[in-house]
Amino acid sequence: MMRARPGCGWRTVLAAALTMAVLAAPLIPQGWAYLGDPKSTQRIDPTNRLWRELRQGAAGQTQVQAPEAGVLIASAGEEWRRLRNGPLRTWGAYWLAAAAGGVALIFLWRGRIRIEGGRSGRTVERWRLPHRVLHWYTAVLFLILALTGLSLLYGRAVVLPLFGKEVFGLYAQGAKVLHNYLGPLFPVGVILMAALWARNNLPARVDLRWLAEGGGILFRDRHPPAGNMNAGEKLWFWIVVFGGLTVSVTGIILDFPGLGQTRETMQTAQIVHAASAIFMLGFAVGHIYIGTLGTEGALEGMVHGRVDVNWARQHHLLWYEEITRGGGPEPEAAGEGEGEPAAGA
Amino acid sequence: MARMKFLCDADRCIECNACVTACKNENDVPWGINRRRVVTINDGEPGERSISVACMHCSDAPCIAVCPVDTIYQTEDGVVLHDKDICIGCGYCFFACPFGAPQFPAAAAFGSRGKMDKCTFCAGGPEPDLSTAEHRKYGSNRLAEGKLPLCAEMCSTKALLAGDGAEIADIYRQRVVWRGAGAGAWGWDLAYGRRQRQNANRQ
Amino acid sequence: MRLIKKTGASAATGGMDRRTFLKTSGLAAGGAALAGLAPGAMMRRAEAAEGGAKVETVRTVCTHCSVGCGIIAEVQNGVWVGQEPAFDHPFNRGAHCAKGASVREHGIGERRLKYPMKLENGKWKRISWEQAIDEVGERLLAIRQQSGPDAVYWLGSAKHSNEQAYLFRKMAALWGTNNVDHQARICHSTTVAGVANTWGYGAMTNSYNDIHNSRAVLLIGSNPAEAHPVALQHILRAKERNNAAIIVVDPRYTRTAAKATEYVRIRPGTDVPFIWGLLWHIFENGWEDREFIRTRVYGMDKVRAEVKKWHPREVENVVGVSEQQMRRVAKMLADNRPGTIVWCMGGTQHTIGNNNTRAYCILQLALGNMGTAGGGANIFRGHDNVQGATDLGVLSHTLPGYYGLSEGAWRHWARVWDLDFDWIAARFDQNEYAGDNGKPVKPMFYKGIPVSRWIDGVLEDKENIGQRDNIRAMIFWGHAPNSQTRGVEMKKAMERLDLIVVVDPYPTFTAVLPDRKDGIYLLPAATQFETYGSVTASNRSLQWRDRVIEPMFESLPDHTIMYKLAKKLGFAAELTKHIEVRNDEPLVEDILRELNRGMWTIGYTGQSPERLKRQQRNWGTFNYTTLQAEGGPCNGEYYGLPWPCWGTPELGHPGTPILYDMSKPVAKGGLTFRARFGVERNGVSLLADGVYSVGSEIRDGYPEFTDKLLKQLGWWDDLTPEEKNAAEGRNWKTDLSGGIQRVAIQHGCAPFGNAKARCEVWNFPDPIPVHREPLYTPRRDLVAKYPTYEDRKRFYRLPTRYRSIQETDFSRDFPIILTSGRLVEYEGGGDESRSNPWLAELQQHMFVEIHPVDANNNGIRDGQQVWVETPEGRIKVMALVTRRVAPGVAFLPFHFAGHFQGEDLRAKYPPGADPYVLGEAANTAMTYGYDSVTQMQESKVSLCRIRAA
Ligand SMILES: Nc1nc2c(c(=O)[nH]1)N[C@H]1C(S)=C(S)[C@@H](COP(=O)(O)OP(=O)(O)OC[C@H]3O[C@@H](n4cnc5c(=O)[nH]c(N)nc54)[C@H](O)[C@@H]3O)O[C@H]1N2
Ligand SMILES: Nc1nc2c(c(=O)[nH]1)N[C@H]1C(S)=C(S)[C@@H](COP(=O)(O)OP(=O)(O)OC[C@H]3O[C@@H](n4cnc5c(=O)[nH]c(N)nc54)[C@H](O)[C@@H]3O)O[C@H]1N2
Ligand code: HEM
Ligand code: HEM
Ligand code: SF4
Ligand code: SF4
Ligand code: SF4
Ligand code: SF4
Ligand code: SF4
Ligand SMILES: [Mo]
Repeated sequence: MMRARPGCGWRTVLAAALTMAVLAAPLIPQGWAYLGDPKSTQRIDPTNRLWRELRQGAAGQTQVQAPEAGVLIASAGEEWRRLRNGPLRTWGAYWLAAAAGGVALIFLWRGRIRIEGGRSGRTVERWRLPHRVLHWYTAVLFLILALTGLSLLYGRAVVLPLFGKEVFGLYAQGAKVLHNYLGPLFPVGVILMAALWARNNLPARVDLRWLAEGGGILFRDRHPPAGNMNAGEKLWFWIVVFGGLTVSVTGIILDFPGLGQTRETMQTAQIVHAASAIFMLGFAVGHIYIGTLGTEGALEGMVHGRVDVNWARQHHLLWYEEITRGGGPEPEAAGEGEGEPAAGA
Repeated sequence: MARMKFLCDADRCIECNACVTACKNENDVPWGINRRRVVTINDGEPGERSISVACMHCSDAPCIAVCPVDTIYQTEDGVVLHDKDICIGCGYCFFACPFGAPQFPAAAAFGSRGKMDKCTFCAGGPEPDLSTAEHRKYGSNRLAEGKLPLCAEMCSTKALLAGDGAEIADIYRQRVVWRGAGAGAWGWDLAYGRRQRQNANRQ
Repeated sequence: MRLIKKTGASAATGGMDRRTFLKTSGLAAGGAALAGLAPGAMMRRAEAAEGGAKVETVRTVCTHCSVGCGIIAEVQNGVWVGQEPAFDHPFNRGAHCAKGASVREHGIGERRLKYPMKLENGKWKRISWEQAIDEVGERLLAIRQQSGPDAVYWLGSAKHSNEQAYLFRKMAALWGTNNVDHQARICHSTTVAGVANTWGYGAMTNSYNDIHNSRAVLLIGSNPAEAHPVALQHILRAKERNNAAIIVVDPRYTRTAAKATEYVRIRPGTDVPFIWGLLWHIFENGWEDREFIRTRVYGMDKVRAEVKKWHPREVENVVGVSEQQMRRVAKMLADNRPGTIVWCMGGTQHTIGNNNTRAYCILQLALGNMGTAGGGANIFRGHDNVQGATDLGVLSHTLPGYYGLSEGAWRHWARVWDLDFDWIAARFDQNEYAGDNGKPVKPMFYKGIPVSRWIDGVLEDKENIGQRDNIRAMIFWGHAPNSQTRGVEMKKAMERLDLIVVVDPYPTFTAVLPDRKDGIYLLPAATQFETYGSVTASNRSLQWRDRVIEPMFESLPDHTIMYKLAKKLGFAAELTKHIEVRNDEPLVEDILRELNRGMWTIGYTGQSPERLKRQQRNWGTFNYTTLQAEGGPCNGEYYGLPWPCWGTPELGHPGTPILYDMSKPVAKGGLTFRARFGVERNGVSLLADGVYSVGSEIRDGYPEFTDKLLKQLGWWDDLTPEEKNAAEGRNWKTDLSGGIQRVAIQHGCAPFGNAKARCEVWNFPDPIPVHREPLYTPRRDLVAKYPTYEDRKRFYRLPTRYRSIQETDFSRDFPIILTSGRLVEYEGGGDESRSNPWLAELQQHMFVEIHPVDANNNGIRDGQQVWVETPEGRIKVMALVTRRVAPGVAFLPFHFAGHFQGEDLRAKYPPGADPYVLGEAANTAMTYGYDSVTQMQESKVSLCRIRAA
């Protein structure tokens, strides 16, 4: 899917967003039920001191050699179950639905942002090959991980009823294996991105204005100037870096259970992992929207490396001025087969 | 319908580990996996108490709730079983279980834990009762043979009781009457909930 | 899909080293689970099930301790596929401890010795049985030729069935030596000696089940929660239903103590002062049973005099127990009668072990707790058949049935064996040696070297020992080496021997301890599940074991191996003169019938194979508390026909469930105290005073029955003509017809007489038990007041040291008291149980229990490796910091072996036969010290220091 097909693309995204919102709906009452029933785990018999101590996780001695075998009652498990099956799942679904819905609304409201004045036919280099590879490496991983990860979190409610336990079990097994093996590759991308791109993403005064003007997306008539990266991208970048690291660290904690971490550590890691992954995912929806359907001419930079001069002027005026000033690389004419056709189909 | 439950009488359990070994024997459980374990608190000090614990076959089982592939289920007898063919070995049941019952043959890199294994109340698994496949995957199915779990049957001091909730509650209550005191029954509340206990006691 | 992945299935068949094993052994180690192990077992099961062969059920008995729990084995296609609880078994009601719950593993036996092997150029080489028997036999005969029969040591086993134990003792006799012994020496020998010398028989007087009737249970030096777990079933019943006081006296707060109503912590080695301290309060308050003492006890006055010295202050000083607690316990015992006393190794394994056991007896006599249900001395014995092997005289100081080694004893057994006494005598070394009392004695009549001292039999200067030459060959026939103390010297001794033979299902530590290149033979014995026969539980009940499976691999039953060896050694015909032999296997039933014909002293005569088998088939008909059959084919009999089961099988005696219980007729299991020590002492009668068992026609004390007594009483004519023939000139012990016993019982009398129990054992070093400080004591201030014995020049053929060791003050360099004992999962030296993965997984590390104070003083953290050093050896183990022990006391479990002073010897085991778990043997560090009567080793008190490794 290197070549964007805006025509069918937007419909797909919209459809996906709506399905998500609809599917998440049944989970909502469940979530409220969990949140609204705090006493569900309080069953302590006050007369029994031993029992009480154990409920508090007092550890004993045992001949069974396994981590935490000495803990008789791991009450934290109750809390974990409550969080995962409750708020995490519910709010995660809300959030993703909101992201998808938001994108859909923006699209309805604003439509695709065209290159002002059409394509110039001349392009400038924006992403060199290694950077593009890095982006897609990370992006594809992220998407696979998201899909497989979400299958674990929501598959039982969403997919299982459609296909039955056996088929879903097989699928989930595959998803888990994929997720667990690909997961550790993800931080590589994140770290490289952080190393290579951080400089471009340092906040600047101009970002404030960009933000104030809604990034040129919310309001039709504004075209805030931006440097190499605009504030929105910068925000995304830092979300990717910090979110990615969080997801990766927690992911690794979950992925290598033999490192001596306790069950409680893993429980916490799991919640943080899934929450931050879903948090990222919401933004990723936005990012992807902007990179594809939302903005004409953006994707080609990440696909072929070069962007139309008009696009550059429109979206990254300061950057464009910077690179063309004093001996910067000359824009070239778009060659055959390179870049988007000048006029939309 | 019987409601199968475990009860460990902490005033009797002496940490002899017969229950643990009986389980290994009966179910051919490999080294490293312990469907049952005995935990001693205040070890070597006054107040020392030992408690044998396995899957408690909870009424509102947390493991069932969190399993991503919904492979854990409760039988009509209240026994919590699971289908190993479907299990993906994610370990979530272990995170959720208050009693640390789910076991995994491994805890290796890339989250490969293998199929979850846990106490079946000696009731096998989803395969046809007493089939070879069932035995290989889950060990014995004593319930189908009309027998109770071997761990409890072999308990040296009869501290560990297994069977219909109402019946074992009766046995235990009788002991408490003899003793004139004692609050040594263990695990009942958390695993089975207050309502069930009251029911059991009323019967 | 399988339970676990089948990768590495081949690993289970051997070759895996310990590191890989542990690495792959569980979550803790971070590796994958040991794939393959369970499938191995599972596959056997699955294969057995193929074709749907019928599942047979076999009744057998646990081989791991003296409780004697019944087991139902399920066998399919010759494979042991299942183990079911024997719910109707009167001892255990289906229950087990970890060991009993694991016995099916014997039918898998991955780590067994699989075929005969010998060490050749430092390598284990597989050989055939023929070659093994041939070579071992040749070497033994050569040694006999050069050094005489006493140069070969026959170390038997409490694991043998009664029939095998008996045959083993007979075999040693026909070889011509008394250098034969077994575990009882280092287990309850001081009990047997002390108790037998108090009231007649050296055995548990009541039973585990009878504790149901107790209102107080005093456990001293006994930790049944780990050592006899099923006993707790009975003890807790008394606690719950009788509100019985459970009092645990132990230096450690044991698992048993955790279930007690009163725990008393004493300093190791102070049992006599503790008991005297209790008696001080009992006498002071008049809580003793005066009538009982008057009628049934001799010598209590001398005890009173000794007890007087143990004022509460002195008790507190020596024992460490406060006056209040002593008084409280004494009152508890006084208020709750009948009460029983239970003791085990905490009492027996001391240089004054015999004093301890006698003191315990005296306490029960003073309280009048003997001979009654709920009372008695419930001495929990050790191995599954240590009672039987003791009864059958696998001991260096007696022939079967406690007949001793006198010429009369030999003649009695020669008659039973139908062998010429002179022929037997000629088998022995004919020279005379200075005996224990300095007088010359022939080896045939001279106590042999005990197992506790065999190393001295090898290492001691030849001039100093009471036999022709040193020991040159050791035959370990079901005995671990790490169960004997002084491991460092043992290694030396093993290296000096000409020949070592191990006959055992496992290679044992013997195979690897000595640095030798050759001269070790390993012969695979079948376990008791692969053969059949009778076994005697702690309560004197004989149970019949059926064969569960055929011998695994190339193993053979012990009695078959004995026969093969005897054939090679040239006395097989004599050994089995009246025993049918099929295919080199002597018929077990015939062996039992033969021993039935000789064991009159303790009534091992009524338990014919037929009766035992019938009881076994009907074990569900016996009452859980009384052990008496209620209806059914065994109606009225007691379970296991607990000895004495008087007379011939035809007499139909039901067995004696409670010893010395006068409330029943002798014919129905009643008894009096035995008249064993003569009829008077210094002009005072030793016979009972006006008391007798129900139905006795003699209404007073009486001596033991002889032909003369029968004639005096006018009962001679009650004998049949054949009986008269046999009884003429004989007594109740030597009349092979059983007529004297029959007639005595017919008149309501106990064949062995009716006498008093004696508190004063005038033939012992300390006639009235006294306290003596251990050889290695930290209380130097008490040595002068409570010194040990003088060194002895000759004692059981060997010089034996006491004072010369105690003289030295070791306590400054070795300040911590070191004691040792058991863990529930392992048994004895542990080779068997550490080779059982179900058990081994539960105890993976040898450790030392050490109090936080000592740990902190020595900079030791929990779980850390430490050196435990005694004056005689050192071991590297893990520290387990716990308040279970008192400050200044450390405890070692003794079941580990395979490491030696820090070195891992795993590579030296025959391939595939190394136990899963290895560790340092406690006895590598345990020190010198032997009981003054029996040569019991001191394995409960030594001194050590502990430092971080
Ligand atoms: N699991 C298991 N069970 C067994 C065995 C086994 O090896 N493993 N072996 C069997 C055999 S052979 C035997 S003989 C029995 C033995 O059974 P026990 O004698 O009950 O076992 P031990 O642990 O040797 O010792 C008992 C207690 O003696 C205490 N003790 C130490 N020193 C002293 C002392 O000076 N005075 C007193 N009063 N107590 C002291 C120890 O702290 C210990 O708790 O167990 C039998 N059962
Ligand atoms: N420090 C210390 N030392 C002690 C003790 C202590 O408390 N502390 N306790 C002592 C006591 S009470 C005892 S009883 C001893 C016990 O010590 P041991 O009796 O030496 O120990 P086990 O390992 O039980 O030895 C029995 C052997 O018999 C083998 N065996 C089992 N069944 C059969 C069979 O059918 N035939 C043959 N031929 N062999 C068989 C087993 O494999 C095992 O090797 O240890 C003593 N040593
Ligand atoms: C199909 C999905 C995606 C598309 C079409 C897409 C498209 C793009 C495009 C066109 C750009 C360049 C914007 C520019 O030139 O200014 C870009 C930048 C970027 N993308 Fe994506 N992207 C996708 C998924 C992802 C994912 C999943 C991640 C993160 C895990 C990601 C992280 C980034 C980052 C970090 C940048 C650079 C922003 C900066 O440096 O500020 N992208 N993406
Ligand atoms: C970057 C995007 C990622 C997303 C969107 C994501 C999402 C998720 C989700 C939703 C779950 C399921 C939670 C549940 O069912 O409760 C999950 C589980 C998990 N994730 Fe991720 N994850 C990502 C990255 C990673 C990475 C980088 C790793 C490892 C380095 C990782 C390792 C795991 C592990 C081990 C689990 C537990 C699931 C199992 O073992 O079966 N994930 N993830
Ligand atoms: S004990 Fe654990 S595994 Fe068993 S039913 Fe309850 S939650 Fe599930
Ligand atoms: S490990 Fe298996 S049984 Fe447990 S939650 Fe995961 S899939 Fe379900
Ligand atoms: S019920 Fe069966 S499976 Fe469960 S612990 Fe007991 S023996 Fe093991
Ligand atoms: S068998 Fe019984 S007494 Fe022994 S540890 Fe298990 S529950 Fe406790
Ligand atoms: S070891 Fe003793 S208590 Fe345990 S099962 Fe065997 S006989 Fe019973
Ligand atoms: Mo023993």
